[in-house]
Amino acid sequence: MEHVWRRCAPDVLTALVRRSGDFDTAEDAVQEALLAAAQQWPDKGVPENPAGWLTTVAKRRLVDHWRSERARTDREQLVAGRTPAQAFLAPAADLDDAGEHDDSLTLMLLCCHPALTRPSQVALTLRAVGGLSTGQIARAFLVPEATMAQRISRAKARLREVEARFRVPAADQLPDRVAASAQVLYLAFTEGHTSTTGTGLYDVSLADEAIRLTRQLHSHLPGAGEVAGLLALMLLSDARRAARTRSDGFLVPLAEQDRSLWDQTLIREGVGLVERALPTGPVGPFQLQAAIAAVHAEAARAEETDWAQIETLYRMLGNLAPSPVVTLNHAVAVAMVDGPAVGLCLVDPLLEDPQLARSHRLYAVRGHLLELDGRADEARAAYAEAARLATSIPEQRYLNAKAVPA
Amino acid sequence: MKYVILIHSNPQPWGHPTQIYTEEGRALPQEQHDEMDRRFNELMNELTTSSEWVTAEALADPTSATLFGWSPEGHLATEGPYAESKEHLAGFFIIDCATRERAEEIAAHFAQPGGTVELRPVMWPGSDDQ
Repeated sequence: MEHVWRRCAPDVLTALVRRSGDFDTAEDAVQEALLAAAQQWPDKGVPENPAGWLTTVAKRRLVDHWRSERARTDREQLVAGRTPAQAFLAPAADLDDAGEHDDSLTLMLLCCHPALTRPSQVALTLRAVGGLSTGQIARAFLVPEATMAQRISRAKARLREVEARFRVPAADQLPDRVAASAQVLYLAFTEGHTSTTGTGLYDVSLADEAIRLTRQLHSHLPGAGEVAGLLALMLLSDARRAARTRSDGFLVPLAEQDRSLWDQTLIREGVGLVERALPTGPVGPFQLQAAIAAVHAEAARAEETDWAQIETLYRMLGNLAPSPVVTLNHAVAVAMVDGPAVGLCLVDPLLEDPQLARSHRLYAVRGHLLELDGRADEARAAYAEAARLATSIPEQRYLNAKAVPA
Repeated sequence: MKYVILIHSNPQPWGHPTQIYTEEGRALPQEQHDEMDRRFNELMNELTTSSEWVTAEALADPTSATLFGWSPEGHLATEGPYAESKEHLAGFFIIDCATRERAEEIAAHFAQPGGTVELRPVMWPGSDDQ
């Protein structure tokens, strides 16, 4: 039932924003309507037209809000600075697929307005476009609900301050805004915590939610290569979800995963997306990372991995978006092609890199390559250092186990 | 990346903000306390605006603590404080920032007369995909 109203939420919100011209108030009204649905639908059943039901209830709440004395004066003050409702409907000349779903795209891009901080963009997107409650978002990011509520209300106030309009950004701003949306969805995918123990009824998987919203973004902008790349990257990572942790929560690294647990449907879809996106160019970091994930996905056994191809892709990624983390990943691929000693020659200079000074990944990779090179004692010392620096509890358990003499 | 900023101090009598109850704090002129308060409020505003603020709590007098020891027969409760150390845990702040450098920059603002400020990364139950 929850997924029904969550899917309706962005359409209901855009209908209300069009009516009121006020994102902030409209958003509150939609949240109230969702709450009413949560209370009434379990007893009375889901209405035949859930979106219509929610819109009606939200509009009623909006009218209630306008009728209240304080709201009336607020609104009078706002009117001067507001664009007439028609202006919100100005056709987006720069969008070729101006279909019925443009509203939720506009909403997604509004939530990634450059005046907002990245964490605010993430929170607002999940709430306004994803229809998640403040509590759900707070739990997913392991912050108190009050903190998340404050973050969301500040974000809405900020949009009001800069007079952000509900319309598709101008052509010259559109690529940046789409890129911001992609980054926001990527953060929601990677940083959102999915509770694995004692999952509450209202806890959601942010990975699922991020995939759903990225699918939406991709369906609006099928020609945007990086959005396709991001969706592929998410699907290919998510395909490994069941194999990534043992039932006791212990982490299983890629090379040791039971590949029969990988979701082949997701892999086929992800691989297809990368294969279609790559030749159309320009190639971006998400597409390259997805291509790397695709090469891993296509190896039935770890030993069959086409490391030469991965090495090439990491070299391209390093040229496009250089960072010590990419160099580190490149070193692993080089080690698999030319031997661990060659890989270590690339890793060791990184020990001096201030950006990686406290990175457990650097020492974990070093431990792995030393282990492959038969230098067991040094490998254990590197794993112990990696464990000391790790801040993920499952990763620390894994690294501590590797640091113990066999 | 979340970090906790731990404030270790021994205000006499126990009270918050701790720096006005320490010997070193009492030695400072009022103007300097006012200036520190102003800068602290500025920092709090900055952290909420940047969404780096997560949460904070001030802790009650360490003598109000109850300590629970464990033995195979069961637990044993005794009245606190936890340690007869010079300084006690007086409160904590949790921040969420992009880099360690940024966390250190923020933590440095918490340095105060008669106290020690400790910055530690917070661990999380998930893991990066690989």
